Parts: sequence; C-alpha cells; structure tokens
Amino acid sequence: MIELRGLTKRYGTTTAVDNLSFTVGAGHITGFLGPNGAGKTTTMRLILGLDNPTGGSVTVNGESYRDKRAPMHEVGALIDPSAVHGGRSAYYHLLWQAQAGGIHKSRVDDVLDMVGLADVAGKKVGGFSLGMRQRLGIGSAMLGDPPVLLFDEPVNGLDPEGIQWIRSMMKRFAEEGRTVFVSSHLMSEMEQTADHVLVVGRGQLIADLPMSEFTQRSALTHVRVVSPDAARLTPHLEAMGGVVKNGTRGELSVTGLDAGAIGAAAFERGIRLSELSSQRASLEAAFMELTHDSVEYRANETSKAGSSTAEETVRELTAEGAS
Amino acid sequence: MAATTVPAQHIIASRDPGFGAQLQSEWTKLRSVRSTWIVTGLAVGLSIGFSAAVALAMGLTFDSWGAVEQATFDPITNSLTGLLFSLILLIVVGVTAVTSEYSSGMISTTFMISPQRARVFAAKAILVGVIGLLIHAIAVPGMFLVSQLIYGSYGIPTVSITDTDATRFVVVVALVVPLSYTLISFSIAFLLRGTASAITASIGFMWLPFMLAPLLPAWIQQNVLRFLPDMANDSLSGLTPPGSLTYLSQTPAIMVVAIWLVGSLALAGFVLNRRDV
Repeated sequence: MIELRGLTKRYGTTTAVDNLSFTVGAGHITGFLGPNGAGKTTTMRLILGLDNPTGGSVTVNGESYRDKRAPMHEVGALIDPSAVHGGRSAYYHLLWQAQAGGIHKSRVDDVLDMVGLADVAGKKVGGFSLGMRQRLGIGSAMLGDPPVLLFDEPVNGLDPEGIQWIRSMMKRFAEEGRTVFVSSHLMSEMEQTADHVLVVGRGQLIADLPMSEFTQRSALTHVRVVSPDAARLTPHLEAMGGVVKNGTRGELSVTGLDAGAIGAAAFERGIRLSELSSQRASLEAAFMELTHDSVEYRANETSKAGSSTAEETVRELTAEGAS
Repeated sequence: MAATTVPAQHIIASRDPGFGAQLQSEWTKLRSVRSTWIVTGLAVGLSIGFSAAVALAMGLTFDSWGAVEQATFDPITNSLTGLLFSLILLIVVGVTAVTSEYSSGMISTTFMISPQRARVFAAKAILVGVIGLLIHAIAVPGMFLVSQLIYGSYGIPTVSITDTDATRFVVVVALVVPLSYTLISFSIAFLLRGTASAITASIGFMWLPFMLAPLLPAWIQQNVLRFLPDMANDSLSGLTPPGSLTYLSQTPAIMVVAIWLVGSLALAGFVLNRRDV
C-alpha cells in the first residue's frame, strides 16, 4: 500500500510534483498516466526515497521508504532498465542486489530462469538489447518476491514482443495478488492492463478512478444510427431514455441506449435502418484532451486530435477528479 | 517457466541483512567488473616497472654523474619514482568505485535496495580503502626492493629496508598514503558524481601541491600547503626534511592527515544522506 499526502517536489521555480494525494491499494494494476514531463518519474523516485519531497509525505506499507532496512521483499521497482554496469554479467548484477537485500543466492538463478535470461546469465549486460535489459530489470524487481511492484514506463522503446511479455508479466503479478503501480504516457497501453487509473498533468492529479469508469465515460459509447426515417425514430428513442443528437441526412447519434435496443425499437415500428453501429471515441483522444492543458511542450497539431464529444467527457472527468 | 511465487522463507535470508551483507554486496560489485583488476594490476605493475626502469637508467649513467650528485644520491626517495603511476591509479580506484554507479544510473538501484545510505557509503569506503592499502602494500616495498637490487648490481649506494629512515618512508607510503589518496578522492567522487571532474579535482588537490610547491611563495607554502593532506604525508614519511617550509612535526602531521581523512568522509557522507540521489 502506497500513500501520498500532499506530496510536492520543486526544483527551483519549477514544480514537478504539486500537492499529490492518492492511495494505491493492494492487489490490482494501477495505471499512472500523464504526458511526458507530468511528474510521473519524479513521483516514483519520491515514493522510493531516492529524492526528498519539498512538502507532504509518502509512505510505503505505513513507513517512509528511507526508514526501511532492506525493503526488497516489500517493494520491487523498475525505474530505468539501462541503469546497469555494462561490464558486469547478468548473474552478478542480480547477485549484488540479492546480497544487499538479504535474499538467498539461489533465488538469483530462479529469477534468471523466470525472466528467460538463464542462458545468458554469464554474459555481460553491456551486450544486452533493451528488451533483455527490461527482463533483467523485472528480474531485479522480483528478487525479493515483493507484494508491491513499481514500473516506470516499462514498455518504452520495446518491440511488440517485448511489450506483450511485459503485459503478460504485469497481469500475472496482479493475478498473484500483487499491487502493480505502473506509469505510462500511452493511454492505449493502460487500457489493456490497468484496473485503476490515476491521471496527472503538470504534477497535479487530474483523475483517480476505476478503469471501467474511465472507459465508460470517456469512450462515450454512442450508437450511430442512419435511417431514411430518422425523424420518426427519434421520439421513440427519447421515450426509451436515449439522448439523441440529429446529424445531417438521417444520421443520429444516440447515447444511453445500446445498439440492440435501438434495433429492436426500429424493428417493432417498422422503421428501416441503413446503418446501426456502436461507436467508441478513442481513449487516446479522451486522454489527450484530459491532459491537454497540462502538456508542457506540445506541437500545435496534437491539440486538434480530440473530438468535440471527447472534450465533453473530459470536462466530466475533470469535475470527477476535482471533486 | 518457473513459478514466480515461492514461499517467502525460501527467498528471504534476512529482513535486516546488516552491515556484513552490505560489504559482501559491494565486494561483489567490485570483483565482478574487469576494471577493478586491471587498475589494481596496472598500479602495481606500472609503479614497480617504472621504478625499475629509472633505477636502471641511474645505474647505467651513475659513473658519469658529478661528484656532488653522486655523494648526495638518496637511495630511499629515488627508489619510489613509480609513485607517479600508483598515486594516480589510487585516485582512479577511489573515484570510479563511486562514479561508475552514477554514470550508469545504477546508484538509484543501490539506494532503492539499501535505503540506509550511510551503510552503503561505509561499506564502499572500507573496500576502497582496503584495495588502496593492498596496492601500496605490494607496490611500495616492491619498488623499494627492486630499485635497491638494481642499485646494488651497478655499485650505487643502497639502503636496507631495516634502516630506520627507509622503514619509516616505506611504511608511511605503503600504509598511510594509500588511505588518504583513495578515501579523499572517494569522498570527492561522492560530492562531484562525475568521473572526469572527480579525478581532475582529486589530482589537483592531492598531487598537484607537491609538484607546484617550489614555485609558490613562501607564505603559501608555510600557511596553506603545509596543511594539505599529501604535504602532511610527506612530513610523516620523511620526504620533507625538518626545517623545510612545508614541514610539520610528527604529531601535527598525523592530526592533519587524520582530520582531512575523517573530515572529507564525513562531509561526503552528510551530503549524500541529505541530497537527492
């Protein structure tokens, strides 16, 4: 369990983390989302006691990280997979960690096996690809078999196979009942894995809600209906509780009803439909709109990406996050 | 693929592994990279080799030296010309044990695993100090004995290692000098965090004063240089004769060396503990 209370980190006049408060509970994957420069890595470093907060506090299992002796069996983390000494073998890279963390030497071989690096255990890490370093990093985090895992941008720069592997590992860790706290700037990535999302922008918390809710609200599961008889259909749909927006040439955009219900209603009344389809605004677009104001450096083009419907969702979510 | 969940008691050897485990871990770091062995080997090999070469050159040319030069030839200090190499490599040992972790970013992993930074600092300092001691404990008597052997074979005056002045010189340079060189540069490395800057600063602070001293005004020699760690080492070893501007008598010299050693370690440890990694 990770608890942040008003956590703040300033570098001179720049506020990297601004009064962050949230709790990461046990046993699920929490996505920590935000654009580059939103303060995700700084927050991770503050949690792990590597950087000192300017204000507020953060505890891991009720205790400040810096007060712990050898927390490998409590928390495992992967911050930067490239932070290895290129001249040391994978085995020794894990061995020094195990020794410092009070972990049995035999665990090193088990972990190398687990992340699929047993064959290259004696090879120097300098020759490893990013994917292999990522595996080694996951191995480090798993040495103490900890109930809490922190991963900072674990899929960055990985090939599809590497991404798939990381995803399956995270899911497996969560299934084993571990808490997985994972940061990303890719919404689509989180959609696949996270149960809960925390969205930050410019160091501030923008949203804190279950993934299902985020998806539901942001994806605006509206149904697109095209019918030559659209005008006749509209009141019926409204009577059923749907919200209908009229477009041009018999196009309707319906929210609050699913495609099946709309199809049945049209069928009963003999209204011909030429198109009926469920539409989901992209999560990515919703996320970009959500963090729109908080992106520090942005090319002009990206701001146009969100649709008007997504913008509405964003307001809803922002209100949610603020309440 | 092996199961990820293994009963905890099979994994965890200790919930507070203590200082011994920290030493073991830091030793694993040092011994598992080739550079440790290369630098150690070079420090011993180059210093003895260079001393031997210089002794050989002296032996070959001694007959052509002037009478005064021959009469004032000091077989003690002349035997350790190889210090030129070993001292700089002691600095490299002290600095790179620290900065290799900063340059790779591995230092974050180190303090993530061991949040008690003082323990890591102390374990590293002990190992770096021991490696420095080992290098000089071999290199210094080695340089001395090889040189005497060569002097002897050319009929140049030699001195026995049991001679009081020789013993004092060899013991101080073998056992005190490496501690101040490795540990002060180790402290500088924690303060500066960069390999190039820390090596440059350490050479400037430890080694340059000795080279520059004769060029500087008497007042600076007497009031500044005299109290620098390596100048105090030279007073201790007998390299600096009594009456010289930078000479300190034994007790103050020991205190100056100790204060620099403890002071630099304390400052670096304090800063490390307070600062962001």
